[in-house]
Amino acid sequence: MQQFDVIIVGGGVVGSAVARELSRYKLQIGVLEKNMDVCNETSGRNSGVVHGGFAYDTGSLKAQLCVEGNQEFDRVSEELDVPFRRTGKVLVGNTEEDMKNLEKTMLQGKRNGVRGLTLIDGERLHELVPAVRGEFALLSPNSGIVDPFRYTIALAESAAVNGASYFFGREVNSIRRNPDQSYTISTTDGEFRTRWIVNSAGLGCGSISDMLGITGYRIIGSKGDYIILDKKTGPLLPMPVYPVPSNTYMGVHVTPTVDGNVIVGPNAENVTNFTYYGVPQKSIDFLAENASSLWPCIRRSDYIRNYSGILPKWVDENGAIQDFRIEVRDDIAPHAVNLVGIESPGLTAALPIARRVVSLMAERADLKPNPDFQPRRKGPERFAAQSEERKQELIGRDPDYGDVICRCEEVTKAEILQAIHNPLGVCTLTGIKYRTRSMMGRCQGGYCQMRVAELIEQELGIPPEALLYERKNSRLFTGKVRG
Amino acid sequence: MLKKFVCIICPNGCEISAEVEDGKIISLQGAGCPRGQEYVHQELVNPVRNIASSVLLEGGALPLASVRLSKPVPKDRIFDVMKEIKKAKLTAPVSIGQTVIPHVLGLDSDVIVTKNIPVR
Amino acid sequence: MEQKDVIIIGGGPAGLAAAVELCRRGVRDILILEREETAGGILKQCIHDGFGLTRFHTTLSGPEYAQRFLDETEKENIQILTGTSVLSLTPDRVVTAVGRGGLKHFKAKAVVLAMGCRERTRGALAIPGERPAGVFTAGVAQSYINLHNRMVGKRAVILGSGDIGMIMARRLTLEGAEVSAVFEIQPYPSGLPRNIHQCLEDYGIPLYLSHTVTDIHGKARLTGVTVSQVDEKLKPVPGTEQDFSCDTLILSVGLIPENELSMQAGVQIDPRTKGAVVDEFCRTSVEGIFAAGNVLHVHDLVDFVSLEAERLADSVAEYVKSGSLPENRLSISADKNINHTVPQKISGKNGFTLSLRVSRPLAGCEIQVLQNGKVIQSKKMKKAIPAEMIQIPVSRESLSGNGNLEVRALC
Repeated sequence: MQQFDVIIVGGGVVGSAVARELSRYKLQIGVLEKNMDVCNETSGRNSGVVHGGFAYDTGSLKAQLCVEGNQEFDRVSEELDVPFRRTGKVLVGNTEEDMKNLEKTMLQGKRNGVRGLTLIDGERLHELVPAVRGEFALLSPNSGIVDPFRYTIALAESAAVNGASYFFGREVNSIRRNPDQSYTISTTDGEFRTRWIVNSAGLGCGSISDMLGITGYRIIGSKGDYIILDKKTGPLLPMPVYPVPSNTYMGVHVTPTVDGNVIVGPNAENVTNFTYYGVPQKSIDFLAENASSLWPCIRRSDYIRNYSGILPKWVDENGAIQDFRIEVRDDIAPHAVNLVGIESPGLTAALPIARRVVSLMAERADLKPNPDFQPRRKGPERFAAQSEERKQELIGRDPDYGDVICRCEEVTKAEILQAIHNPLGVCTLTGIKYRTRSMMGRCQGGYCQMRVAELIEQELGIPPEALLYERKNSRLFTGKVRG
Repeated sequence: MLKKFVCIICPNGCEISAEVEDGKIISLQGAGCPRGQEYVHQELVNPVRNIASSVLLEGGALPLASVRLSKPVPKDRIFDVMKEIKKAKLTAPVSIGQTVIPHVLGLDSDVIVTKNIPVR
Repeated sequence: MEQKDVIIIGGGPAGLAAAVELCRRGVRDILILEREETAGGILKQCIHDGFGLTRFHTTLSGPEYAQRFLDETEKENIQILTGTSVLSLTPDRVVTAVGRGGLKHFKAKAVVLAMGCRERTRGALAIPGERPAGVFTAGVAQSYINLHNRMVGKRAVILGSGDIGMIMARRLTLEGAEVSAVFEIQPYPSGLPRNIHQCLEDYGIPLYLSHTVTDIHGKARLTGVTVSQVDEKLKPVPGTEQDFSCDTLILSVGLIPENELSMQAGVQIDPRTKGAVVDEFCRTSVEGIFAAGNVLHVHDLVDFVSLEAERLADSVAEYVKSGSLPENRLSISADKNINHTVPQKISGKNGFTLSLRVSRPLAGCEIQVLQNGKVIQSKKMKKAIPAEMIQIPVSRESLSGNGNLEVRALC
């Protein structure tokens, strides 16, 4: 049986941030992920916004950690080589009541330590976002956008190159405490023995808590659907545009992505099924109609895809949404850091959350620094993002950079190969997609999917009937036509 | 008896109606050209079709060589012909027109290669 | 920067035909840029027969049809740069391309857009439901099966009655898969009648008109789809849902001309064809840039693509030699029965072939071309269907140099 100092349950953005922060210490770290890649659930299924921190109750962990995370994002994104843009964002209002709410939000933001919040008039609003519909807005200049896939992948890869081991396709079935105070975790694929457990299971945080004996957490899912628009629309939206928020829901908004698309969504629906990601027709219609009143540039002909995500919300007996919970219950489950209800702004707050986890552990164990820790991580160099001179140089060094595999996103064979040989050993089709943006463009893989599939098979020696699309058993082929 | 046909000989897809008695065409309407008339006649006595498929290719720049039949075969033999095509194997290079299976199943039709494929 | 008389972007049927014809007209300083390792375009994977009846008076498979043009390009010594993707095109006809040898810049007297089209996807249609493996566009499935030796599934249903979808229904059936049905949202098929007959009816595959997929099931691999009947407004009718169990969903729901490069160069696009607005010379709104084939408007037959590209070559040869072409001041408008026409403009000084599609099936109609209120050309049709591109030659003699053209369908 494999023996670890720490096992992290869940390879989302938080689990990967924890793995990365823990890899600063001399520890045997394992990450158990039930899917075949990181960020297949909540972490990869959101708006990709780095939040300012004004929307959360003053004094809450959500507020503190969000503000902390936001302020360090330039440094973090540079260190981890992740595309991030501090675009700013506007919350757009029209009525007197809207104004009152925005003033309240601004005040809360100031109390939370959010810098630069200003109320702007219609004229200024239209200078910032010409196409928007609205009378006035609250501007949060420090809000930004990040690619949630590449951010999570970067954290995970940073952890992996610093010694953490990722185990995919391992869903936790049970956790047993041994007489020597260690834990044995039994999964769908093998048992793992560990001194420490970190529960960063996202949607599964409630059931892992239960397995640890920390019962009573009520977790509900809040499902949000999204539509992705063609890159043609990107230039019309320089920053995220939100409506005036309510207490519990940010409202349907439009968000540019770091790659130039626009995301429309989400709606919010409470769900009990945490594995259903279908997008119903009524959501698609609702989103388009709703967001159009904010930003009238949504055309059916620009739809390229839709998706949905589910936020795990910890609620009390009255259904009121609770704060993040980061705890060690020494009385019930010693050596287990329990993370509950990590939802939005979890993407922004992932590293601050991870640091809290490390402190809780450091208070209880002697963590020795890892002298070999490398904070910097280099991602594959995106051909499309380079100058002509740099492109020429890249091809000169490696002709595979001259071989464009995905035409919509201009992704080259060199990038695909680097992604196939990623440090986490992910070999699904969507794994390559999220790492390179191939298959993510307007033709959705119509030109490149078969080329990418062939390269994965060739490079990794995977037989056709074993090639996976995304999840376990998501076989792409039934076999060969001949032979 | 009035029978309706969609001619498949050319993309026009003429809708042809034929008055048929004892397997013989009494009158025929809707054919844009004489080939339509021939087609209907053929459909009445012995409908034939051409099919396209692939044969495993060894050592080629592509894993499969595309093939078709040199002449259509009776419709009810299509799946039998497919069985033969599935069994066949080729070695690169291959070129257009090359016979893979002459007189497949003794029919008056050859399985022929439809693509030039060099050695890998 | 390398100078060329003509740069052709795309080595599929349109690009190859244009190149060969240009050579025959004495323009020899030409270069085809092709992103794939071998030219021939989509024909390489279209292994079924039925090509060439119009152009070559015999029936050929796709690869054989392509080879005829490839043989000609070889004979004429036409330069084709394969494995070369065009990254950008400027309004002054500077082409930046990339291949394993590096970035290259070309400047051409004339640029021919021949990039073809792409398939409409599930995301573009916003088909609701989950996102399991096993949902393929017809062309992707065709490429897997015919080029890559990969079988995509065992039990399929097909959404959309486009020709490629029906051809894939037959192809899958021949390879031992079970194809349970084809669903078409429109009340009429979108592919050609002969394909309904020889690809579906021959194999007992039912075609359900006015039906669409309203839900997709499966977390890992597709397990089934829900299909609903639609009303006249194409909205699903509640209560008509029917579940079909399958591991594969093939989408054949339309083709979109691939005009991102054209738009980059500032070429005006017709929202109906999604291709360039052109005149009878296949000339776009940008000086020296021409377009033909599926990048201009989606054709149902490759023969017409070749013929269009050959007509384009006439004009491009003339343009390269004389540096100009007649002005195109006359516009062509269409009534509601006509979905679109190509060209959309003319000079009025030349005869030309008018290509069009009707916007709905019409029985017993007459398509008329009018100038100054006078019918100058007409075509009587027993039936006209949107699946079929209709071509009407308009002679030079019938045209006046003044007055816009109108096209209408009377039923």
